[in-house]
Amino acid sequence: MVGTPVLFIAIPLLAAFLIPLLGMIWKESVRIVPGLVLMYLMVLAVSLMGHVAHNGPIIEIIAGWAPPIGINLVFNAFTGFLVTLIIFMGLLVWLYSYRFKSNVEYEPARKYFILLMMLVTGSTGVVLTGDIFNLFVFIEITSISAYALTAFYTGRDSAEASFKYVMMGSLASTMLLIAIMLIYSQLGTLNMADVASKIHLMDPTLKAISFILFVVALGVEAEIFPLNGWAPDAYAEAPGPVGAAFAGIVVKAMLYALIRFTYTIFDLSGAFNLLIIIGLLTLVIAEVAAIRQDKLKRMLAYSSIGQMGLVMVAFGIGTREGVFAALFIMLNHAIIKPLLFFSGSYLVYHSKKKYISDIDGMGKLAPFTSLLFALGAFAIVGLPPFAGFWSKLSFLVAAADNDMVLIIALILAVSIVEIVYYMRVVNRIFFFKRTTGLLARRPTFNAYIVMSVLGIIVLMIGFFPDTVTGYIQAAADSLFDKTQYIHSVLTASIQ
Amino acid sequence: MKKVLVILLLAVVGFYLADVFIGIGFGNDHFVKSDEIKPVKDIYLQQTVENLKVSNAVTSIVVNFRGFDTLGEVTVLFLSVTALGSILYRKRHHAGDRSVLFSASSIVTAGSKLLFPPILLLGAYVFIHGHLSPGGGFQGGVIIATGFLLMLLAYENYTVSHNALSIVESFAGITFAVIGLMGFMNGGTFLQNFLPVGTLNDLFSGGIIPIIYIAVGFKVAAELTGVIYTVLNEKGDQKNG
Repeated sequence: MVGTPVLFIAIPLLAAFLIPLLGMIWKESVRIVPGLVLMYLMVLAVSLMGHVAHNGPIIEIIAGWAPPIGINLVFNAFTGFLVTLIIFMGLLVWLYSYRFKSNVEYEPARKYFILLMMLVTGSTGVVLTGDIFNLFVFIEITSISAYALTAFYTGRDSAEASFKYVMMGSLASTMLLIAIMLIYSQLGTLNMADVASKIHLMDPTLKAISFILFVVALGVEAEIFPLNGWAPDAYAEAPGPVGAAFAGIVVKAMLYALIRFTYTIFDLSGAFNLLIIIGLLTLVIAEVAAIRQDKLKRMLAYSSIGQMGLVMVAFGIGTREGVFAALFIMLNHAIIKPLLFFSGSYLVYHSKKKYISDIDGMGKLAPFTSLLFALGAFAIVGLPPFAGFWSKLSFLVAAADNDMVLIIALILAVSIVEIVYYMRVVNRIFFFKRTTGLLARRPTFNAYIVMSVLGIIVLMIGFFPDTVTGYIQAAADSLFDKTQYIHSVLTASIQ
Repeated sequence: MKKVLVILLLAVVGFYLADVFIGIGFGNDHFVKSDEIKPVKDIYLQQTVENLKVSNAVTSIVVNFRGFDTLGEVTVLFLSVTALGSILYRKRHHAGDRSVLFSASSIVTAGSKLLFPPILLLGAYVFIHGHLSPGGGFQGGVIIATGFLLMLLAYENYTVSHNALSIVESFAGITFAVIGLMGFMNGGTFLQNFLPVGTLNDLFSGGIIPIIYIAVGFKVAAELTGVIYTVLNEKGDQKNG
């Protein structure tokens, strides 16, 4: 082992406090240090994953107080899978945005990279923590970084988008806090495993109310209908790499929290049906909205929301296969959507209004980015043999096993909608006549690398899905095994 | 019509929430009802005095038992300041002096000068004695920041060095994180106490708790002063308006 899970939080925090000092000595360090930190965390995540595969989950105790007294972090196959994914995406977003805009001055650059690193750290913390109040703190860290990154261009529209996000986010935080307070007042503990083992003692009304508050609060952050009013604006107005970070990192972490509450902490029987219903609503409404968008980034944002709905439905099936499908879709979405955002933001780079019609005939002018965008589009709608096909297939199989015929029909119908609006864009890029004065922006060297890496992963998962299914299966098993989670946390002691 | 609906909806939600909260019985000694549940607060209260030798239980919970949360909260404040700086950046870059309608009278300036040192002293007292008496790093830091606010309001050309604030802020943050990492010494865990705890009610007691609270005090003071300074120098679109 090269470290313990707490370093996922401690090292970036230390670096965030150090960067202002380092920046006074050497200005370039504000760009480089976050990358070095993320690279180290990537090494840590991979080596801890190896450790977990052989020796079982790692329960990290903090401040020397064993659970349930103190706070603890849990690194098992499920959380480890998500942490590795989050940090990997964070690393790619960092690499991509290294020189995304050449004219960014020192001060904004310093703040951008600190905020980006804290966005990754907050999301990692949300996934790792085993304590519901600590979860709240990390959600705060994540969302404050997200608000600031949304408003990064300091224009009128981005300020409005960010303000919307702040308003909804603060409301969500308040509800989260009320829900945590309700649980603490009834059970006298904040540790997730401890709460889970005592939840049956809680008054059913209070239990239901606190669960609803959790769902609403986390629903705002995880872009669930009808709480996602902030999302399209934030995606459209934030810088390109930030949109990718939202889709690949933040939403994943918030959805994790929601799933942790439904699967491990609460024992409400109707919760799974609730997931299916809100998931389907989110899916249908988002996809129908996406087809009506004329701005590329807004379309991608709605598509992202729709995919989250699909993941929720898959989690709502409530079987091991359902969880497997949900995690597979999450993984694919975390890789494909950033690819679309990365290549898409280069396609509309010179367009003022960012309309889809502004990129007619881009295929000849910028063949590499256009090709990668098309690859992402094919993959996300689930065309074989790309990555998205396998996850959608596993979802349909899981649904079919439970005789959810209506849901399968609905998902397939929505998939057609999805194909229509993605193919429309691809069609415009490759087969429409070029408008006069069309300019293509050459991607930076780093952006080439990042987009190629993502493209290769999409193809790799598409042709050899077995490379990742093992990890996903282990993660799904780990989420499903509630008693083992409770047991391993509550019996943890300092080694 | 829309407004009526919204108000009705809020009233329904409010009614149910109020109903729930009245039933909980806040303020009673033991509002955790079942006997099967052993609330962690009993352990906190017992361990605070016996093991940590801290007389302010709130401090021991905030800095020791749940110190990781506090590290997170400190980061939240740091991020808010960074975010504010990044949003107001472009304007601040072009802004000149503060806009002042009329300068403060000599009574205000002299009075501020007189009050400034005691305010700083009170702030320092509050965060140094955080483990003994009510208060702590956050409260002490805020008190110090109000001292700077007073000076900034009274003197139109009073300046605070952004670099100095940044250095104080960074060093305080690094202290917190490094103390946390030093907990790993002797096979301990993150943020675990590694110093002798001393005797109850001594100034030098509680192990790492006072050190962390002093760092937090400096950090909060520097950050809030930075916020006040940034906002005061924010000219906005006054020229046009």
